[in-house]
Amino acid sequence: MIEVKNLTKVYKLSKRKMAELKTKDSIKRAADGISFTAKPGEIYGLLGPNGAGKTTTLRCIATLLKPTDGSVAVCGHDTVKESTKVLERIGFLTNEIKLDPNFTPKYLFSFFGRLHGMSESEIDARRNELFKYFGINDFEEKKIEELSTGMKQKAAIAVCLVHDPDVVIFDEPTSGLDVITARSVTDMLASLKERGKTVIISTHIMSEAEKLCDRIGVIIDGKKICEGTLDEIVNSTGAADLEDAFFTLYKENHKEEA
Amino acid sequence: MNNAIIVMKKELARVFLDKKLIFSLFILPAVLMFGIYSIMGSMIGRFSSDIMEHISKVYILNAPEDFKEKAENKGYFDIADVTVLPSDTSAETITTVKDDILNGDAELLVEFDKDFINTASSYKNEGDAIPNVTIYYNTSGNYSNAARNNFVNLILDDYKNTILSGRFGGNLEVLNAFNVKNEVIVNEDKANGEFLGMLVPYLIVMLLFSSAMGLCVDAIAGEKERGTLASLLLSPIKRSELVFGKLTALSILSTLSAIVYSVSLILAMPLMGSSGTMSELNMNVHFSAFQIISLLIIMVALVYMYVGIISVISVLCKNTKEASTYISPLYILIIVAGMLTMFQGGVEKSDLLFAIPVYGTALSIQNIMTNELTALQLAFSAGGTILAGVVITFAIAKAFKSERIMFNA
Repeated sequence: MIEVKNLTKVYKLSKRKMAELKTKDSIKRAADGISFTAKPGEIYGLLGPNGAGKTTTLRCIATLLKPTDGSVAVCGHDTVKESTKVLERIGFLTNEIKLDPNFTPKYLFSFFGRLHGMSESEIDARRNELFKYFGINDFEEKKIEELSTGMKQKAAIAVCLVHDPDVVIFDEPTSGLDVITARSVTDMLASLKERGKTVIISTHIMSEAEKLCDRIGVIIDGKKICEGTLDEIVNSTGAADLEDAFFTLYKENHKEEA
Repeated sequence: MNNAIIVMKKELARVFLDKKLIFSLFILPAVLMFGIYSIMGSMIGRFSSDIMEHISKVYILNAPEDFKEKAENKGYFDIADVTVLPSDTSAETITTVKDDILNGDAELLVEFDKDFINTASSYKNEGDAIPNVTIYYNTSGNYSNAARNNFVNLILDDYKNTILSGRFGGNLEVLNAFNVKNEVIVNEDKANGEFLGMLVPYLIVMLLFSSAMGLCVDAIAGEKERGTLASLLLSPIKRSELVFGKLTALSILSTLSAIVYSVSLILAMPLMGSSGTMSELNMNVHFSAFQIISLLIIMVALVYMYVGIISVISVLCKNTKEASTYISPLYILIIVAGMLTMFQGGVEKSDLLFAIPVYGTALSIQNIMTNELTALQLAFSAGGTILAGVVITFAIAKAFKSERIMFNA
């Protein structure tokens, strides 16, 4: 269960950043009063263009960022006050966070298992299950730096699921992957949902959102514009599909910088 | 604490599971040390034997009649190519010889006063004439210096003894007022310790830092740059445990690397000179248990603090390049602090000075070498450094919590 209430994240911009973003404001509201709830047994999707605030929101859920205002609770634990308890319950996957290239998938899997307080036999059992599912056994003794992008992503997913977390947070889970690997990732997400896990993903790929997500929250310029099932969103905008609906919402809500 | 050990083991595994890293950190430095010192040693050896074997070109003006006989007896012609210039040699020829000496084409010009022997032998009373021998040589030429010394020792001293012996009726003891006998009373350990006391603090203070530099920058700034540090931050462990585990592992690695450097440096030193002063140095210093334990305590505290300082800088920088840029000037400061102690021997130091990190550490190591370190000084030195290390650990843990520093947010 993830409860995001009125989440606001404000960054102070340095002069150089202001010039980069071509803005005169010295602050940027990356998330602006976002609220939603993701429940066990469902896949919740955050849909939005690049820079909309999806990653910021996910990082706040994963305790890496502190909300400027509002609050985030994971399984009833506040991400700021009880960050360790939150970290015990989540698996967070994002492109910017990588596995150490000097180690093998097998070593890192055990390492993170131990940090989660798991016993060696628990780790072994879990490794057998996940490495078999993703076909990692073939390259489990190769260093991460020697692996292809797809292999790396598979290893990263396995490692982030080592402790069988109740809440799984994937930031653009299939970006940069070939069709086959992407499919194994989305299948995994579906099976996690079947097992009653809370899954939240961010994406800007419409087809992925259409296929995977039970409910979708559309985020534009740091604000949640609308929320609902695929059908609800498509119907409310009178569009033919999610992509058209998204464009309609984007045109209505995106303000061009002056 | 358990988590800190898990993190530490992983950092150690990073090095010990990688053959290339083991080679570059622990084997290559030793090989290089021995290589450099043997090359230096053989070059110094070749240099000095070259001077010894060189046949010097020597010109003698107004040579006494018995010069040839004397030189022959002393074997001087084996080491010098002597040209005897007649007394009517032109001024131009003399100038040419002097130019040759300046240019290194000749080594020596010796000018005896005319009628040298007679003037010297006929000396009777105060005020009588004393003859001159003028030696022209080039102080910037190694061959020329050696040629001058050879000539004075072999030929002129012989003339001196002959003339004086004639003057005093064969009894040269008349010239000896008394003998000076030197009886050396020294604690060999302390004397040798003083030499080591100059060298070792400097080496330890410097080498520990240089070994820590590369390792820490990579383990903190490098991990940040590669995005692997964030994966550790997502683990349900305390940030201080993470920092402590990392710093401890880095300290162990830096210490090992510094030990490899120091040991190979000291072992390789005799290779420097077969005939020089280095080989005559007695390195057999006996350390007491207290000395060894003090040295260990101080080194461990120092290396942890170094690792901490470098890690603080690394954590604040965006990437390894930026971190290295800031750490290089710091390295120079550390070297200066180590050097300060090299040239401050003998002056009494207040015990409080020992609490200053780096400087106090170098002072302590110096006193350990001469077995003069008091327990209070050891406590101050270790305490000051450990305190600095603890403060740094928490500073890094705080930086790990900062989203601005970790995620550039």
